[in-house]
Amino acid sequence: MKKTLRFMAVPTLALAAIALSGSPAMAADQSYQSTLGQLNGSAGSGTITLDVTGDQAHVVLKVSGMPATFMDAPYPHVQHIHGGAQGVCPAPSADKDGDKVISTTEGAPSYGAIVTTLSTSGDTSPAAGLDLKVGGQGASYTVDRTFELNAETKAALKAGTAVVVVHGLDPATLSAAGQAAKSDLAPTLPLAATSPALCGTLKAGQMKMPAGGADTGVTQETGTDTGALAVGGGLALIALAGGAYVIRRRTAGAAA
Amino acid sequence: MGASAPVTLAIPSIGVRTDLLHLGLRENGSLEVPGTGSDAPASWYNGSPAPGERGPSVMLGHVNALGGARGVFADLRNLAPGSEINVSRTDGSTAVFTVDRGAKYSKNQFPTLEVYGNTSGAELRLITCDGYDPATGFFDDNYVIYAKLKA
Repeated sequence: MKKTLRFMAVPTLALAAIALSGSPAMAADQSYQSTLGQLNGSAGSGTITLDVTGDQAHVVLKVSGMPATFMDAPYPHVQHIHGGAQGVCPAPSADKDGDKVISTTEGAPSYGAIVTTLSTSGDTSPAAGLDLKVGGQGASYTVDRTFELNAETKAALKAGTAVVVVHGLDPATLSAAGQAAKSDLAPTLPLAATSPALCGTLKAGQMKMPAGGADTGVTQETGTDTGALAVGGGLALIALAGGAYVIRRRTAGAAA
Repeated sequence: MGASAPVTLAIPSIGVRTDLLHLGLRENGSLEVPGTGSDAPASWYNGSPAPGERGPSVMLGHVNALGGARGVFADLRNLAPGSEINVSRTDGSTAVFTVDRGAKYSKNQFPTLEVYGNTSGAELRLITCDGYDPATGFFDDNYVIYAKLKA
């Protein structure tokens, strides 16, 4: 907080304010975002923001309303950034084998191959794509991490073909054929486990997204020392329910 | 409307008329805020779209001020849906917005994508503080007005 700002004439000195504020070293070069839509009858929802600074990506992926358990354990939701194709989520017509489920393979012409694994820890390369241990766990979770962006993902973001896909359906919502089918990716797993549930194209943000809300309240100093009343000026009294008094002193320069 | 930086903000229904500082982000990525004096103007986040341009233009104002005074956005919570907001711009034009809704959010769970995320049209966000806690002296919440450019 630059206290001098409050003394500046506006707008003649607005340019000076711009020069004083901001922090090029920390500001993201570009922010991307997506609100994820539902695929294959999923009941989940999700949002993702991805801030690129140099070759580092800070990802915040929030997912909720997904199937919670799988074989008596938290349901592992593998999740990725796909890229290099049309940059869209698959339409129902992508279901080529007619089992009413768009498998990951059937979705590929729309969203492309895995370029980054949005793992909860460790490897973020495509190699970790089917590692259930580092998938999102359970019904609701947040992945908040920073990792090095590979060239394929960078290119996909730039070209507008980067698509976030969260996998893992509730088997009970699938057609009979779908429930009987094995995964197109890992034959030991049911089709539901690896099929896409949430999907959204990463779009460049219309602004550099600020972190959190705004400190637009001036912090009030509080205390119960009635002796402070003698200080006078700038003090106000408020009665509390219990009949005690609290002194609210407006302090200088403390914006919160 | 094209990109043209804002100069003043007027909200006739709650008697607000203020110049607009142009402020950016702090080192921690949070929004820089105007000064704490009772004469402090509101501000426009210069990393957000210009008001009238496609996307959510973000403006901030304090709810209170030093010395027990009211902040420029003290009455934001009384702003009713349908109210008009006028923003004058450096190119001489005025962007007129209509209030859509207001919402209170905990600062700890601020929905950044909902407030700052992409919009298909030109929109405006006015942000101030709420949720004063007498025990700590802090404001725990933000109050956000969502407005859309008048067609």
